[in-house]
Amino acid sequence: MKIDPATLKKIKRFQSIKRGYYSLIAISLFIVLSLFAELFINSRALLVRYDGRYYFPTYGEMIPGRVFGFDYDYETNYRELQKRFREAPSDDWALMPLVPYNPYENDLRQDDYPPFPPSFTEKHFLGTDTIGRDILSRLLYGFRTAILFSLALLFATYGVGISLGCLMGYLGGRFDLVFQRVIEIWTNVPVLYVIIIISSILVPNAMILLLIMAFFGWTSITWIMRTATYKEKTREYVLALKALGASDARIIFKHILPNTLSIIVTFAPFALSSGIVALTSLDYLGFGLPAPTPSWGELLQQGWSNMDAWWIASAVISAMILTLLTVTFVGEAVREAFDPKLFTTYE
Amino acid sequence: MTQAENSFLSIRNLVTAFDTEQGSLRAVEDISFSVERGRTLGIVGESGCGKSVTALSIIRLLPRPAGRIEGGKIWFQGTDILTLPPERLNEIRGNRISMIFQEPLTSLNPVQRIGAQIGEVMGIHFPRMTKEAIGNASLELMEKVGIPDPKRCVAAYPHQISGGMRQRVMIAIALACKPDLLIADEPTTALDVTIQAQILELMKDLQKKTGMAILFITHDLGVIAEVADQVIVMYAGKIVEEASVETLFKNPAHPYTQGLLSSIPRLDSPRKAPLTIIPGMVPSLSDMPAGCRFQNRCPVKIECCKTIPPQMTALSETHSAVCHLLTGRKISP
Repeated sequence: MKIDPATLKKIKRFQSIKRGYYSLIAISLFIVLSLFAELFINSRALLVRYDGRYYFPTYGEMIPGRVFGFDYDYETNYRELQKRFREAPSDDWALMPLVPYNPYENDLRQDDYPPFPPSFTEKHFLGTDTIGRDILSRLLYGFRTAILFSLALLFATYGVGISLGCLMGYLGGRFDLVFQRVIEIWTNVPVLYVIIIISSILVPNAMILLLIMAFFGWTSITWIMRTATYKEKTREYVLALKALGASDARIIFKHILPNTLSIIVTFAPFALSSGIVALTSLDYLGFGLPAPTPSWGELLQQGWSNMDAWWIASAVISAMILTLLTVTFVGEAVREAFDPKLFTTYE
Repeated sequence: MTQAENSFLSIRNLVTAFDTEQGSLRAVEDISFSVERGRTLGIVGESGCGKSVTALSIIRLLPRPAGRIEGGKIWFQGTDILTLPPERLNEIRGNRISMIFQEPLTSLNPVQRIGAQIGEVMGIHFPRMTKEAIGNASLELMEKVGIPDPKRCVAAYPHQISGGMRQRVMIAIALACKPDLLIADEPTTALDVTIQAQILELMKDLQKKTGMAILFITHDLGVIAEVADQVIVMYAGKIVEEASVETLFKNPAHPYTQGLLSSIPRLDSPRKAPLTIIPGMVPSLSDMPAGCRFQNRCPVKIECCKTIPPQMTALSETHSAVCHLLTGRKISP
């Protein structure tokens, strides 16, 4: 594929803004890491050799304990398995992930109560929460939930907002007027209360929560797109296209939309980070995703009510700061790279 | 069928009005003319006299809801343009009637490649054409309008090529569907003089090859002399004179046309002689005087100009003008 010089210039400019560039690398790394989280943080072993056969338990069906010589039919406890192999020397072995705990299991001990502080020997690198779940594990899986949720929310709100905003700007007249008023009313609805009320009536799963948040979140990009389209529509090339006999749909989607792309691209990272914040705050209040789902808001809540277990709050707060900062840095650099004023300077 | 319906392009008593804060203003009032197949009609007049509005009215491309056609008829090859439903109108636009604009840079989409923009109009009107066929046709068109190295230009963006090249691209787009009528709205105004001459030459050449009619709008009498067969002079929304190009320059009948022609500096006039000007200003559309619209600037006005609007007077078969002084008089061409 050929990249044209103008785009190349933008990419170069983006790369030259070091803070944003490295933030992009970091955040992409986090996302990729979280998408393959099962390979790094999981209670299932990566690879097991038993009786001359190899098993890859990470993905796929659970393997009952009986397969590896235990006397139970539920899922094998691979940490136990590894311990057994080590104690009785044989050819069999099990390779565990870096952190051998999944985000749902409670690591309970005799004569001690969670939360347990960070410990390298136990492989709880960031300690456990109040019911003995590994914090690092919950952080990473929670990050995956948050970023995927935020991306889905971004697509939903931008899909609605861009098409509606374009139509408002392009058609103008009564259509524009009606939706302007609708948006004005909509933005004055206290979203948080509505979500709290709805979640107290029905237990929201991720899909319902997404729908509710998208339902109230489409307005800001609609405003922006309306203005951008208005500006674009009065340009002469639209008149020229009309003179060529182009239909309205073609003008909007093939011509006006690509011309407003830089605005969309500029706002997207900030929308992404605000999505993460929104989900975290809902979870913090207990109105977000249902209980066992690993989430940052829920961790934050635990940390807040157990301040003596400092590792909970400090871990999740650092993770929040790191994520929001990197996303914001990326957004800032994208905005700057797309700013046409920077391409020319006068001496 | 009447004669008007039968002719190639015929405009009868067109009135185009705009809603403004001062009420509804008639930018074009009661104008009639016709264009013949394969010929060039020039429309001249100063800014704001309604030239462009006339052109835009022909393909009903007025800014809505402010602008609207209040009356008259536009016949194009037997179709009444003003009553066409929008889909049928889109079939005519860009296909049978094409238009080129004054500023080629702003008339091209800044984020699309030249090739895609030339191909687009064919995609609109001939949806069954394959991508390859469109690509080949685009290259051929670009060669036809004299773009050197079309292969490189196809992949360029509008800001990467020069003004003259951009106007050639616009012409290529306009000609893509082999239109019967090309409306050129000041196509050379934004170009410098050498490029202007090239573009005019190109348009004349293409007209000879394709046999299309051209409606050429400009404020530049020099350009009119170069391209037009028949000329219409407009003033404050009305036609003041219509003549063949030779007659107009040799024998202008209306005081406004005479004033325009005498304001052109001449090679044989004495050096450092002051240029002739037409004193005064065009009256505002909201404040149009009764009677003749040119009365406040006219050097030969008479009493009846103040109250009675003058009528179109035929001076010969191809020459007519709107002036009280000409009533009942025929001047030889």
